[in-house]
Amino acid sequence: MDRKRIANLLSSTTGLALTVGISFLIVVLLILVLSDEPGRAIYYFFIGPFTKAYYFGNLLNQAIALMFTGLGIAVAFKSSTFNLGGEGQAYSGAIVATVILLALPNMNGFIGGAAAIIAAVGMGAFLAGLSGFFRMRWGTDQLISSFLVSAAVILIINYLVTGPLDDPVNSMLTTARIGRQYQFLRIFKPSKLDISIFFAVAAAIGTYFFMQRTHWGYEMRMCGINREFSRYAGINVGKYLLVPMAISGGFHGLAGAVTIMGTHYRCLKGVTMGIGWNGIAVALIAKNNPIAVVPAALFFAYLEAGAKAAMLHSDVTFELAKIAQAVIFFLVTAQALYGLFRSRKKVGS
Amino acid sequence: MSNTSFPIPMLHSTIRIMAPFLLAAIGGLFTELAGMLNIALEGLMLIGAFFSVVFAAATGSLFLGILLGIGASVAAAYVFGFISLNLRANIFITGLATNLFAEGLVMVLAFQIFGNKGVIRFQNLPKLPVLSVPAIQRIPVLGDVFVGHNVLVYVSWVMVVIAAIIIYKTAFGLRVRGTGSNPDAIEATGLSPRRYRMYAILISGFTCGLAGAILSLQMGAFVPGITAGRGWIALVAIYLGNKTPHGILIACIVFGFAESFSNYAQGAINVPADFILAFPYIITVVAMIAYSIVRHYRLKGSER
Repeated sequence: MDRKRIANLLSSTTGLALTVGISFLIVVLLILVLSDEPGRAIYYFFIGPFTKAYYFGNLLNQAIALMFTGLGIAVAFKSSTFNLGGEGQAYSGAIVATVILLALPNMNGFIGGAAAIIAAVGMGAFLAGLSGFFRMRWGTDQLISSFLVSAAVILIINYLVTGPLDDPVNSMLTTARIGRQYQFLRIFKPSKLDISIFFAVAAAIGTYFFMQRTHWGYEMRMCGINREFSRYAGINVGKYLLVPMAISGGFHGLAGAVTIMGTHYRCLKGVTMGIGWNGIAVALIAKNNPIAVVPAALFFAYLEAGAKAAMLHSDVTFELAKIAQAVIFFLVTAQALYGLFRSRKKVGS
Repeated sequence: MSNTSFPIPMLHSTIRIMAPFLLAAIGGLFTELAGMLNIALEGLMLIGAFFSVVFAAATGSLFLGILLGIGASVAAAYVFGFISLNLRANIFITGLATNLFAEGLVMVLAFQIFGNKGVIRFQNLPKLPVLSVPAIQRIPVLGDVFVGHNVLVYVSWVMVVIAAIIIYKTAFGLRVRGTGSNPDAIEATGLSPRRYRMYAILISGFTCGLAGAILSLQMGAFVPGITAGRGWIALVAIYLGNKTPHGILIACIVFGFAESFSNYAQGAINVPADFILAFPYIITVVAMIAYSIVRHYRLKGSER
């Protein structure tokens, strides 16, 4: 038993190392082909985030939203429900929080902030819950419905941000700024890192206990392992098509609210872009373990911080991070890479 | 504008708009029949759109541009298939990866080659030839709706027929279908389900590449987000069309009409552009829910 566990751990770490190694290799190759100063670009891509406290703080800050979205996806996947609408849910959380905070310019910071966060969580939970409800009621494909709802919502929010809610004083495509009392405390100046990183880590620990130690968490995991069996065991299976989706959406809404209150203080057009998709990759790297979401999110934030530093200091563009992330996406579930040390169990194709 | 002339241009543009949907959905039908959920359609289309217009401008030849665009899309489909099938990765995650990779790759290349991540216009880009058949053109409504499109639109209709023949009349089609419905039987006859899955994925790469080529070549430019969710809508069209070529054709006519209608609505009343863009998604999700409701009650009825 012990040997098996060690072998499992070994194979999953080597698999992960291979995944990451291949993605780095592809980034290096791309830089060599595309850049006129490849040495500089490569240096800043990999080392850049650690060269200045400012970059490093921003890296940590970037990871916060990814922790929340990663947790949301981990809960959904662990329960065998599929949430592909994270992008729209996070964006909706951002806009709802912004609208509420703009509507309450003189409220007490804690009360107004709490109201905004609750509303953002509720909005995300509602949007994801819709797809859960459709599947529970009529068997509608959750994967596609959650994506389509989210895609429509993104466009409608774009309209709000650039239309009725646009701040005429500012030339950017953004709403007005939220009040000072709602802005989270910055803890590592001059970087944008704010206090919500502690909330994110606490949420990861809380989610772990929720999934492992509570009745709901147990039933959700059971449904994730085998829904048919759970039905015969007397678990209300329909409920667990809806509940994990709502929790997942709630986390995404929260990520959106935190992005506004901790980092941008205003809802720019596309302010949460990418944190939904990357949340999925984060959850996969973490193998849906809430605690492991924390380092996985840090790693993804590192890729973005590296690409940003490389863009600032050389001639490559930020989208290199997207390619590195996509390569990880490609390989993270590849059993062939993860089964190198799993000699006995043959995985069928 | 007289009352009678209004719907005809709308139907005319329906035919034009539905072509990329149709191609992507037909390719996706092969993967669906082979038992795979292929959400990479969107990304494959994007790659086809980018490379076909870039190569058409670079070589001055439409044919070469389309060919190389399709080639790039098929190559991407191969990578997608190789990782999903040979490295045994979750195909839904690798499908997402394909979409994200396509987005990243296109942006990086656009920036490094053209120094521009926005709209890329091409001078001296050859125009897609328009087919005109005077004999049919003289028929009142039919002629106005079906004639005067670029050749690729007609190619898309021909592809539906070819796909139907391949799927229902050839041994290859039977094997692809068998791979989805009963892979053990395929295996028992000494064939490899994995190989037929790969063929299906490559076919979807081919049709999506062509679908992308239509989008960019008819615009004469490359725009980020040019595919605008069409791959996803094509995926829904496969379900709504009950996984048959003729069903997909009907579903694509509906989606094409919805988009054409919303374009005209924008001209008639002042609707924000973002709402127009959101409209196809909303129609699609509503259609999908309606479909699942109908199926739900039909299944319930048959149980009794």
